[in-house]
Amino acid sequence: MQAGKPVPTLTPAMIAIWLALATVPLWIEHVGLYQYLGVEILIFATYAMAYNLVLGHSGLPSFGHGAFFGLGAYGFGLAQLNLVADLWFCLGAAVVVASAGGAIVAAFISHRRGIYYSLLTIAFGQVFWFIAIKSHAITGGEDGLLKIARLPVRLGVATIDLTGNVSLFYFVLAVFVAVTLLLWRLVHSPFGRILKAIKQNETRARFVGYDVWRYKAAVLVLSAGLSGLAGGLFAMAQASAFPDVMSLHYSGYIVMMTLVGGGLVTFWGPVLGALVFLLARDVIGAFTTGWMLWFGLLFVALVMYKPEGLGGLFLRTPRKPVPPLAVASAPAE
Amino acid sequence: MGLLPHLVNGFALGLLFALIALGFMLILGLMEQINLAHGSLFALGAYFAYAIATPRLPLPPDMLQVWAAVPLGWRFTAAMLLAPVLVAPFGVVLERLMRRTYGRDPLYGLLLTFGVAMVIEELIRIVWGTRDYTLPVPRGISGGFMMLDLIWSTYRFWAAGFAIIAMAIVWLVIERTRFGALVKAGAHDSEIVQALGHDLERLRVWVFVLGTMMAAVAGVILAPVWGIRPHMGVDAVIPAFVIIVLGGVGSFWGAVLGGILVGMVVGLSGAYASEWSMLSMYLLLILVVTFRSRGLFGKKSVLEA
Repeated sequence: MQAGKPVPTLTPAMIAIWLALATVPLWIEHVGLYQYLGVEILIFATYAMAYNLVLGHSGLPSFGHGAFFGLGAYGFGLAQLNLVADLWFCLGAAVVVASAGGAIVAAFISHRRGIYYSLLTIAFGQVFWFIAIKSHAITGGEDGLLKIARLPVRLGVATIDLTGNVSLFYFVLAVFVAVTLLLWRLVHSPFGRILKAIKQNETRARFVGYDVWRYKAAVLVLSAGLSGLAGGLFAMAQASAFPDVMSLHYSGYIVMMTLVGGGLVTFWGPVLGALVFLLARDVIGAFTTGWMLWFGLLFVALVMYKPEGLGGLFLRTPRKPVPPLAVASAPAE
Repeated sequence: MGLLPHLVNGFALGLLFALIALGFMLILGLMEQINLAHGSLFALGAYFAYAIATPRLPLPPDMLQVWAAVPLGWRFTAAMLLAPVLVAPFGVVLERLMRRTYGRDPLYGLLLTFGVAMVIEELIRIVWGTRDYTLPVPRGISGGFMMLDLIWSTYRFWAAGFAIIAMAIVWLVIERTRFGALVKAGAHDSEIVQALGHDLERLRVWVFVLGTMMAAVAGVILAPVWGIRPHMGVDAVIPAFVIIVLGGVGSFWGAVLGGILVGMVVGLSGAYASEWSMLSMYLLLILVVTFRSRGLFGKKSVLEA
């Protein structure tokens, strides 16, 4: 990440992670888990990576990202049920709908910073969630949008059926690979550098001459679109779309995953976070009904003692003990 | 004329919203910490009040019988006074946990309290289950009455009155006592206040206790109106933060005015589209903040950094 040093498109770590993920369907059932969990983890990992573009790479604390994930899910479902039942078209619709939602939000909040940014993203998240719940005729309200099919992949020469969880896993993995590759390139591009500058000091970035709000708007739209893509996959995996994923709780969970995994300090942190979060849900949930109690306590302890997240454990030389999300000008005690 | 009941009810609702928002604002404005657990403390207040008033307390059976024989009016009053005292220790613990986030990006405080909110909500589910409860209201202040050929809910007016009293107490504490002056000075310049020999750590604990008790009082007052359920915390904290951003961070009157505005808008839009009435407050917020970035009376604060 040092300036001047070219960053390769493919790194050994990247390929190792992809290959490790590709073996998951071979052993996941032998360790007492189930195939669908792998699909879920990959979808949430994609979502968390998309979210981290905003939180970790640009320092914008969005607390309403569930809206974009949900918009993607509804976009996928509605396109399939009302327009054309084609996988590529529906995933495209998911991205377009979520990006449009992101553009609306971005138009209003890109001049804001810090906690005001968070609070406004919460407000917009609630607006989308509320509309999803109340628009019975379109979204099915709290009953959800049902009967979303797992469409086959049409590749021209061949068609792959995705109704099985294993084939769906590999399809989601392909999307994950594409998204991570895109994000890796993006973060290390000149555009990514400017995002980093905005994260470190927005005022300075503006004085250097960058039109900061355009970058903030662009990155939110992009992140929203990719979150929507994950949402579309989730709608397909679940065969339905519900307003829950747009609620404040779910928007908070994605922040938790990203932070727990160490998204603030490492590129792959969000993947680790999604893995830990969903595994904790299943494993702690197997022993007790109140898994949120224990996970909440763990999370509180993590914020207190290891705010850079689990990913921070793997870094040999953390540059700063606490990564500032914006200008760290809060008064010391 | 047809809108009058909606306006009056909206105004009363607004006072209750303002009450919820004030405790939240106290901690945000004076300590620059976003307390997302405010809603959970609000819910705890309601549950404790339910336990005291109905009564479902972990006491020996004969003592419980004596207490159950006391008229509901006294039990309700006791609930309103005692529940906040019982919730206060949670605020002390929360402050202790949050100490590690002071001086860091405010986002960490927000995340920590999000975690705490999850924990408290889950604890409520474990102790009381997921079913709804209702807090019984003494006969004298329940029911309805006729005015201008319309039926009005008596308790809503009492609740608005309680809210005004609670807010007046907070105003007196902040604006008319030495404690309030010190806390405000501490928020403005913590170093000088410490250099003058005041124990800022103790002050912070008391601010948290005050904010927590405000949340609990609001929970008790609102419990008969909204019902008691695990999710009530989230339902309360969201309007609270909408009101704070609308009124402006750090402004007492901004919170009161924001609360009343939100209440009236929700009440009025309820007259036309009751299903969508809660949406109107977000739209109001977005409208106001688009033109006045710090809300109606907001001052510049560290939170924007």
